Amino acid sequence: MVNSKKSTWLFNPFTYIAGWQALLIGLILILVTGYIGSLSNTHFDGVLDTHTGRSAPLWFFLITGIINWLCMGVVLWLFGKKASKGTFRSIDLFGTQALARWPLIFTALACTILAYTRFIHTLIELTRTQKMPETFSLIDASVFGLVVFVMLAVLCWTVRLMYMSYKVSCDPAEGKAKKTFIIGLIVAEILSKVVLIALMANV
Amino acid sequence: MFMKNLPKYCPSCSSPLSVKRLQCETCETEVEGLYPLPPLSGLANEEQAFILNFIKASGSLKEMAKLMGVSYPTVRNRLNEIIEKIQTLETSQGAENG
Repeated sequence: MVNSKKSTWLFNPFTYIAGWQALLIGLILILVTGYIGSLSNTHFDGVLDTHTGRSAPLWFFLITGIINWLCMGVVLWLFGKKASKGTFRSIDLFGTQALARWPLIFTALACTILAYTRFIHTLIELTRTQKMPETFSLIDASVFGLVVFVMLAVLCWTVRLMYMSYKVSCDPAEGKAKKTFIIGLIVAEILSKVVLIALMANV
Repeated sequence: MFMKNLPKYCPSCSSPLSVKRLQCETCETEVEGLYPLPPLSGLANEEQAFILNFIKASGSLKEMAKLMGVSYPTVRNRLNEIIEKIQTLETSQGAENG
């Protein structure tokens, strides 16, 4: 019973928390994630994307998370209007979508590991010079592999949370939930990329 | 407190059951007839308790969320499930009554 409650908190916290409360916590965590990302130049440049390397002002790291959340929220809101069995509160969808992005804080933290950023620079150097740099280290490469694994696990967890947020908030009709969510996720990913590329061009 | 479950379907043919005999617990007068069970009795005990609490909360989903310790959309989805179930029960009862 306790374990099932714990797993509900991990994979579907929206059973217990939604609305303004979820929105406030979610937005704070999005901004904290953006700030931690700025320490290692890690960008969440798309609903599902994480890239490390390019430097940018702090506001850009903070706003990318907000743009991703808004793109996902708006697209799922439109899909929810079509697929929902009845009516739903927009605040529940936008609030839970904000909170659904909280695991990305682990990705941001993992990317601050020095060995990971060192290996990123080694890879950039390798791509630039087409020669194995002297800074290449097997330990750094292993840490890089581990961080990539953490990133993938966190991404799966985040997508699962985004889906549960949509399912709980919009209550889509039987058989429509997965289909509309997957299409919505693809549309939101494209939309966020377009917005962020346009924004990045001006940074 | 132990609560007996009201049997709703025939154990032999699975058709819905009706009430045949009612008894006054004070004078033991018995009334016989054929009374269909109300649609709400087709719900599980937990669902009936939900409806009772919902009425006590003046139909406020926010109050229900507080009472159950869950979020607003979770309560609304539970209510939607029960509404669907009642609609199905009413449809099947309507079909049986011709």
